[in-house]
Amino acid sequence: MRTVQRLGAIALTGLVISGILASPASAQASAQTVETRPESFIATAAARGLEINLFGTRATIGQASALVNSTPTAKASGAGVALVAGTVSTSEVNAPNQSAAPLKACLANLPVAGLLTVELACGESRVDTNNGAPTAFGKGSIAGVDLAALNALNPTIEQLQALLTQLLPVVDQTVATALALPGVSGLLTPLVAGLGLAPTSTVTPVTTLLNGLIDGVRRATGLLDITVGESTAQAVTTANAVTATANAAGAQIDLLPALTTGGAPLLSIIVGQAKSVSTFDRGTAKSTPSFDAAVARVRLALPVLGVPVTEIPVQLGTPLTLLAGTPLETTISLGAGRTVTDPNTGAVASYADGVSIHLLKGVGGGIAIELAHAETGAGGQTRLVTQQQLIQPVVPTLAKTGNDPWLPLAGAGMLVVALGIRRRIVAAQPARIDERVSR
Amino acid sequence: MLVDLLRTKRWLRVLLSGLSVLLLLGGVALVGYPFATNMWQDRIQTQLDNQIASPELQQAYKERKVETGDSLTRIKIPALGLDTVVVEGTTPSALRAGAGHYPQTPLPCEGGNVSIAGHRTTYGRPFGNVDQLKPGDTIELTTPIGGCVYQVAKAPFVVAPSEMSVIEPTGERSLTLTTCHPKGSAAQRLIVRATWVKDLKAA
Repeated sequence: MRTVQRLGAIALTGLVISGILASPASAQASAQTVETRPESFIATAAARGLEINLFGTRATIGQASALVNSTPTAKASGAGVALVAGTVSTSEVNAPNQSAAPLKACLANLPVAGLLTVELACGESRVDTNNGAPTAFGKGSIAGVDLAALNALNPTIEQLQALLTQLLPVVDQTVATALALPGVSGLLTPLVAGLGLAPTSTVTPVTTLLNGLIDGVRRATGLLDITVGESTAQAVTTANAVTATANAAGAQIDLLPALTTGGAPLLSIIVGQAKSVSTFDRGTAKSTPSFDAAVARVRLALPVLGVPVTEIPVQLGTPLTLLAGTPLETTISLGAGRTVTDPNTGAVASYADGVSIHLLKGVGGGIAIELAHAETGAGGQTRLVTQQQLIQPVVPTLAKTGNDPWLPLAGAGMLVVALGIRRRIVAAQPARIDERVSR
Repeated sequence: MLVDLLRTKRWLRVLLSGLSVLLLLGGVALVGYPFATNMWQDRIQTQLDNQIASPELQQAYKERKVETGDSLTRIKIPALGLDTVVVEGTTPSALRAGAGHYPQTPLPCEGGNVSIAGHRTTYGRPFGNVDQLKPGDTIELTTPIGGCVYQVAKAPFVVAPSEMSVIEPTGERSLTLTTCHPKGSAAQRLIVRATWVKDLKAA
């Protein structure tokens, strides 16, 4: 048995030594993993709180954008009011492990195009490419928007008052009589219909209705009040995905604020948040878009006319027109949102359209407002890796005629260790040795 | 502690016993490696001695068709007491003969820079003491069809292994010997440069 064990050990030793001596030759032919195409991706996000076209003058309020790509680049911008330098913050980095976060850019009581006053407009941005994973964030926010009353309110109010004055001679007439008068029906018909009054009603004297409107218009503190939330755009890279997110917070628009004695406006349009997300999966190279379109509610408040506040739903795809035929005619369209996929590259885009409002169509073309718009996009390719035969350039050298000097030393060391082990094994078998001696 | 453990654990004794045998065999192989190469080279030289005198080799030499590993020339350096057969080629296999001729250089005694590599510590270590050569020492090459004498031109010098320029063509008839430096290592190369002095008549 012992002989068999020793022979086995010797055979094993021979195999090990053969392996050691043979290994340099086999190491020459090896395959190598080669990156034939690096990973590439891009993700963008943009959000806009409010875009207003006021009698032909355009302004964008609360704007943010962000972009990252695999270069790596990270870019971001945030603007309280677009193109107004003091409210715009931009930052960009284009190399790994860099960052930038400029101070928030804010301006107070900012006049815009001579028609608007923004109480406080701020833009901020920050970017970094830590560990080669680019991240960008932009935010635009404002504290309040007021229309300059002198320029915008007067023509409308003057037109309203002129129309109402025409009605004064018939103040003792019934609604039906008033509606029959030329030039008056255009204003009153939709109002009466909106109030649910029968054209032949004699219950509500026209005097009361008209006096209420005139008083209300005189009491109104402005033509329009706009409250807009902040807009944010963010693009983030993680180990698994690149995600672009755009958020346009909700807004409220009040037409003829404080029209009523209780402070309610004639019309309130309340718009919810719009959100868009596009994601690029770094493992599968699949991009996914999604969105949450904004929702809108409209409150028509005419307590001055003796009716309670009426809430009118806005249907998707069906524009809602209020006060048609009057200078106050207003149309509201609710955007649906959509996603787009490029069939060739797999890149995606997502649009969360907000609410489009056209106010006061009868006054100089009116005021067009786009609210709560968010859009994102993402796409890319995964890293392509292939197995390739490693072709090492042959560096010619003079013939090798020496050996590694450590070989004899290693051999001597192995002998010393082997002898040490043998000594301990022998020391552990005193009985057996004694037996042999006694024999 | 280990001894106590060995007394109680039979499997450990068997394991360590096997390991010690492995280490013993490996150690002997590594320590004895230089001696084994010397013995191997001695055997090869005996065969090369016979080959270099053969008519077949003489014919192949004339036709410049000497195969890698076959005898090419005999080198003698009286100052070192060296007398060995140089084979064609500098592959590891060819160099087991002790010394080999760089095939990209002219044949011995021809015009240009004839270059020969030789082991310094193993395989008979023919170039073991070339660092002791001095300017003026002679080196004699004897080929199957003739021979010539070179004279060491300057003291041996050390270069990097990649310094291939030492065996590049020269305008004069010269001989370059290369070997590893320092002894037992292949980190550098020791170079001996000699210039042609005279031809020898064929035997």
